[in-house]
Amino acid sequence: MNKSLIAMSIAVGNLILATPILAEGPLGLPGLPVPTDNPQTPEKIALGSRLFNDVRFSATGDVSCATCHVAEKAFTDSPLSVSEGIRKLTGTRNAPTVVNAAFNKTQFWDGRSPDLEDQALHPFVNPVEMALPNHDALLAIVRGDPAYVQSFSGVFGVSAAAITMKEVTRAIAAFERTQISGDSPFDRWYFAGEQDAISAQAKRGFTTFLGNGRCVSCHAIEQDFAVFTDHLFHNIGIGINNIQDKVPELARAFQIAKNAGLDVDVAVLSDADTSHLGRFAVDDQFSSMGSFKTSTLRNIDVTAPYMHDGSLKTLREVVEHYNNGGVTKPEDPVNPFLSGGIRPLNLTEQEIDDLVAFMEALTSPQFQSLKAQSVAAAGVSGDTQ
Amino acid sequence: MKYLTLCTLMLCLSGPAIADEFSEEDSTRWMEQFELVATEGRRLWISPEIGTNGVACAQCHPNAANTHPETYPKFQKQLGRVAQLWEMINWCIRNPLEGKDLAADDPRMIAMQAYAHKERRGVELDPGKH
Amino acid sequence: MKNIAVSNRRDFLRTTMSGVIAGMLPVSLVRLSYGKEGGPDFTFAYISDSHIQQVKGNQFVRNWDRGLIRAVAEANLLEPKPDFVVFGGDLAQLGSKPELDHGAEMLAKLNYKTFMVMGEHDYYLDLGEYWSKLYGKHYYSWNHKGVHFITLNSILTYDDWTFDRWESDERRMNEMAGLDNPNGSPFMIGAKQMEWLRKDLAKISKDTPIVVFSHSPLQKIYKGWNFWTEEADDIQAMLKPFDKVNVIYGHVHQIQYNQIGNIAFTSVMSTAWPWPYPESYALAESHLPILTVPMNRADPFNERDATGWQFMSMHTGRVDLEFNLYNNSNRTIAFNTAKGHPEDTTFTDPENRIPAQQHF
Repeated sequence: MNKSLIAMSIAVGNLILATPILAEGPLGLPGLPVPTDNPQTPEKIALGSRLFNDVRFSATGDVSCATCHVAEKAFTDSPLSVSEGIRKLTGTRNAPTVVNAAFNKTQFWDGRSPDLEDQALHPFVNPVEMALPNHDALLAIVRGDPAYVQSFSGVFGVSAAAITMKEVTRAIAAFERTQISGDSPFDRWYFAGEQDAISAQAKRGFTTFLGNGRCVSCHAIEQDFAVFTDHLFHNIGIGINNIQDKVPELARAFQIAKNAGLDVDVAVLSDADTSHLGRFAVDDQFSSMGSFKTSTLRNIDVTAPYMHDGSLKTLREVVEHYNNGGVTKPEDPVNPFLSGGIRPLNLTEQEIDDLVAFMEALTSPQFQSLKAQSVAAAGVSGDTQ
Repeated sequence: MKYLTLCTLMLCLSGPAIADEFSEEDSTRWMEQFELVATEGRRLWISPEIGTNGVACAQCHPNAANTHPETYPKFQKQLGRVAQLWEMINWCIRNPLEGKDLAADDPRMIAMQAYAHKERRGVELDPGKH
Repeated sequence: MKNIAVSNRRDFLRTTMSGVIAGMLPVSLVRLSYGKEGGPDFTFAYISDSHIQQVKGNQFVRNWDRGLIRAVAEANLLEPKPDFVVFGGDLAQLGSKPELDHGAEMLAKLNYKTFMVMGEHDYYLDLGEYWSKLYGKHYYSWNHKGVHFITLNSILTYDDWTFDRWESDERRMNEMAGLDNPNGSPFMIGAKQMEWLRKDLAKISKDTPIVVFSHSPLQKIYKGWNFWTEEADDIQAMLKPFDKVNVIYGHVHQIQYNQIGNIAFTSVMSTAWPWPYPESYALAESHLPILTVPMNRADPFNERDATGWQFMSMHTGRVDLEFNLYNNSNRTIAFNTAKGHPEDTTFTDPENRIPAQQHF
């Protein structure tokens, strides 16, 4: 390279450095979607965190979002199958992790909320979660708390009396948007080219994930990022398999009740059979019968148990369910509404183990230590169903 | 040195080229060879021998329609990355046809690609189009 | 952190709002009024082209089985119940007894009276002999609540192809089974049915609504794939004097609809697999009905994509229908009385089209 070329490269290099560099997001994640009407600010996030952890927002004064979305458990209540609200009342569904929920296009297992802001409204007033009579009870607490009043004023420019659930949920959502994680061993291997980041077995598992396992079409990955979900709803034979004979009656009764004003959020968490109707309860379409949202696989190893009802305890059980073509026990009848993507896979034992090893490589560094705790607890606890 | 060069030049001017041209006969023959392979591709396209359940490519892709060979390589959702036509053909062999992958240079794979491309001739290249 | 500004709340609302607009009402509640007074006169369901295919012995292609099972299970959920169900032809793939029996067994789970239409895949092995044992006549008509229904066997073909050309029944069936087979032969109803149809129509007043069920399209759409009926012009001429005629046809495994004169044509989908639009075959000329908003391009990973069944309602002599698609938004095709033809109530306006509809 001659002298003038070198000089030019330095000049160009300086030009690049002179441009402010935006902080890179975690490896393997796409850009974080933030609504134009709810930008992130440190104060809003801090306020959201306080609201998220505030147990006063419950009928018994001891349940907050953090009760079921425990930070130290990757924002789940692992190893519980279904969550427990006030007075240990059980619902019907497994608490999804908040981590990376910001990338979901809908919230809840059945997608009944379009975004984090809307999702935050519901647990406060659900009878088996926080069980407040209405949102006014929550707002009364907020408006009467000087620290909150000051924060809301600073963040949203509203006086105490003007604080509404809109501001409350925006703050909570802003906090939740900071709970993102990438940079797992898989990311470092696949996107950053670190050959030794994962084991040979996990690499084989990834090949199966893309090939015979047929996982990638729903647990999507793309050329330069992976959220591991297609954001769609699928019937993979969980829950609905147990109520196959009851479906026509149940569906009919539910539709009639819904037409008469039934609250879907209350209904799906109060009755296990209704819960198993899945997305159908939200969009009334036969094609959604028994369908649930594809969940992310990030940190899946530390967020056991699995599925909307927490019925599968280990990753191996999950893979076996898929391998059987959408039934947990191979001799069970397949439900007629099964998603067209589900079929028997005829995987070998080795391929199943490899897939599990691959999924174990999706845990982000900040959650690596949870693995041991989660396994131990799953072995000891009795499951609530 | 100079003498040899002169001789070579004279040979070039005197008759059919020896070095790097091919004749019309050659190109005709080579295109016929393509046709043979594409015809074999058609036979495989409608044959149950590619998979294990009797389903043939032509059942969903009559005349290789809707295969869009002109858009490859492209991002293929079912493979999670930008991929080539032969990789997607293998996906179809494994999935709806419940068969086994063919190597990229397997004569059957080459034949099927030849057929699919032939049925799509004249359509503009549009790689990456989804 | 690289943030992406989004505004998806509005989009979500639009989707949920349209759930209560006529075009996308929950099928199960059958309030398919499509803006018409009084609601439907009656409703019926339509399942078609299941192509049950034997692999060997008791083993059938799982994919096609699941499609029919699903359609039957969903149709059984309808509330209020439809008056009847029609099966649009091609129950079997190669017309064999095991395939017809296996298909019949699955269809029998329907909780409603079922009318059957013959398809070429059912016919060309034994010329419909076993079909008759299972289901009776190949063509027939009946009246229901003031509407005259006609079922045609519209997949016949020239006698020499049927009787003289092939050395065995199996060979004949295999040749007809290939959609793009250059050795195929065009569909027709034949002279005998033409005569029967003439006599049948002579008994009906011109203002009686007519619905014709046929496997082939009774139009000339694309000969290469037998999206074709030889006597299309003559049959349309026979139906011309009547005020309101609806033709429902199978065979094409895709969404099509059209209006020719007084006749509204609508296709039904397959429960097994979709077919590409003839337009997508670059080397051929075809005449896809221009009114049609195409169905979404299928994702082959999901075996039920671009397959489905149909829910139909009759109101003042017109058929409106909802394509129940397992993987995409349902498509509602309603007769637009102002425009005088059927149209997709959601996607007709180019502004409302989505990429997956423009790409087949």
